[in-house]
Amino acid sequence: MSSAFLWILLPIAVGAALLLYRRKDDTPLYLALGLSFILTWIAWQFPIDVVLQLGSISVEIAPTFTFLGRNFTLAEGQRMLLTFIYFAQTLWLLGAFLTRPGQLFPGLSLIAVGLFMAALAVQPFLYAALFLAAAFLVWVPLLVPPGTQPGRGMQRGLIFILFSVPCILFTGWLLTGVEGSPGNVTLVLRAGLLMALGFGFVLALFPFHSWVPMLAQETQPYVLGFLTFFLHSVSLIFLLSFVERYVWLRDNPAVFQLLLAMGSLGVFLGGVWASQQRHLGRLMAFAGMVATGGLLQAIGLGGAAGLQTFFALWLLQAWVLWALAACLAVLYRRVPSLQLEQLGPALQRHPLLAATAVAALLALAGLPLLGPFAAHLAIWHGLGQQSVGLLMLSLLGSLGLLTGGLRLLHAWLSATPTPEPPEERLPASQRPDMANPYVWVFSLLWMVALLGYGLLPSFLAPVQRLVLMFPQLFQ
Amino acid sequence: MSDFLGTLVVLLLLITALYILVNQDWRWAIAALGLQYVWAFLLLLMAWPAELAVVKLVTGWIAASVLGLTRLNLPQQAAASGNVPSGRVFRLLAAGLVILMVLGAAPRLADWSRAFGIYQAWGGLLLLGMGLLQLALRSGFFRTALGLLTLFSGFEILYAAVEGSTLVIGLLTAVNLGIALVSAYLLTAPTLEAEE
Repeated sequence: MSSAFLWILLPIAVGAALLLYRRKDDTPLYLALGLSFILTWIAWQFPIDVVLQLGSISVEIAPTFTFLGRNFTLAEGQRMLLTFIYFAQTLWLLGAFLTRPGQLFPGLSLIAVGLFMAALAVQPFLYAALFLAAAFLVWVPLLVPPGTQPGRGMQRGLIFILFSVPCILFTGWLLTGVEGSPGNVTLVLRAGLLMALGFGFVLALFPFHSWVPMLAQETQPYVLGFLTFFLHSVSLIFLLSFVERYVWLRDNPAVFQLLLAMGSLGVFLGGVWASQQRHLGRLMAFAGMVATGGLLQAIGLGGAAGLQTFFALWLLQAWVLWALAACLAVLYRRVPSLQLEQLGPALQRHPLLAATAVAALLALAGLPLLGPFAAHLAIWHGLGQQSVGLLMLSLLGSLGLLTGGLRLLHAWLSATPTPEPPEERLPASQRPDMANPYVWVFSLLWMVALLGYGLLPSFLAPVQRLVLMFPQLFQ
Repeated sequence: MSDFLGTLVVLLLLITALYILVNQDWRWAIAALGLQYVWAFLLLLMAWPAELAVVKLVTGWIAASVLGLTRLNLPQQAAASGNVPSGRVFRLLAAGLVILMVLGAAPRLADWSRAFGIYQAWGGLLLLGMGLLQLALRSGFFRTALGLLTLFSGFEILYAAVEGSTLVIGLLTAVNLGIALVSAYLLTAPTLEAEE
């Protein structure tokens, strides 16, 4: 059995089978959750490329799978990443019990994660761009559910994500030429420009970011949150693979300066725009822009410190973005619009979710005591050593996002309470927070973990094994 | 490929791409897209064996059929909603600019890398430019799909010169079909029964 079969083909096959299930119950969600949990557990416990004796049976998970003449490799070094990705998938599936993103969510999420894993496994890794585009295409029926009119955000997103494919594939071809003649400045510039364009499109960096906030107004926040989190995470690891693979990229300080500048610009603009938003979906989209900018900054810091900061920040952002998307999705089901002016009564009725959403925004802004603070501090420290201007941009961006969070807090606390219908008439999923045990468990666990990591960031130390996937960059 | 045939194929590509750009009738646009894939197939033959290149032709025809059948089954009102009229003259002028740029850029591209023949460079860049123009000037998911498929045809003509991996061909085929299927879904989504 190969790792690609287990973590790529199996989820895609099961996901496709779940799409055929037509009854309106939770069976697909339970099955997808079960599979996702098992795959997480296997990734965590079973070493790859080692023969294991299970009683009389010997099992080996081979690292490579060959398909159409190309290899898909998920080796022992990537096992921690596999564990994390499938753990994140398990969390998003768990959240679906609260948020109800649609009947297709369990099946399509398994297929999408399978495709994202294929993007990380394929050799040569440049082909990953095609898997990322395929994952986006697969996700479209959830972004635009049957019976709804697709908007301009969907149209723009489709175009921008597909634009990234030619850019990245041609970059790969050009980079091969650059390796042969690294002194050819024209070739290096062309390759660099195409690469920046390709990743700009797929990571929704300024000025190609507009589709995310537009789409956030048109679709369910949980569905968009899942897509942007996995798409951007896998694309950033793909970017790290680029830098790891090509010596001229790795040894060129201009590449890291460009990443720092792009990341800082993303943090600044995302934060400033977030401070102006009155629509919670758009606020989440700009918070995501700040998050991606922060990760780019971490890569741009370079060396072992930058890589460690990147993974520390990424893991905590995953936790925070998941909760933010879940809270907004529950509110989205309760009210016709996520405009702050219309949300007051819903926020009063769901104080735990409102508090969680506010805490998530503050955590993404880098507020002390909350999980991502230590990673933010490392980024600010590194930025300060390289450019005070970029540090100022970054701090202003964080301040902007903080303002967005405080605006939500104000909308919640200043809302007028409305009379509530008797609770016993409502199903559990529609009860107010205080009477809903699932929301209590979700909010409390989430908050404790966020504060726990904020106060004791050393808990994340074992996860730093992720950096070993990029030995050249780690040096 | 002889000079005459190469030039003829590029000219035919230009005519079909221009027709897709300026034409208002979706039926003729689909027919032009189908023909465009034939000319693109002829250019692909310069880099790939026929059995590989024909995959692109069949894929393109399937994509065009999916779009055509979807449009055919749309209610008239919904079909008309994606059709924002804009000046044909303006689109032709914009296409003229693209053609001028391609005339300048294609020989330089062919000079710069020996991987590309001049006809591949002309055809590929022309379709890339026309696809971009279609995406920029026409609205609605039907026209977006035509633009994306045209753009990808141009890209594949160029990329075929530097990459012949079966996996990549398969994945690009899947992406082309995906564009057609997703566009068909987005065109029909408003008319589908809403999920509870």
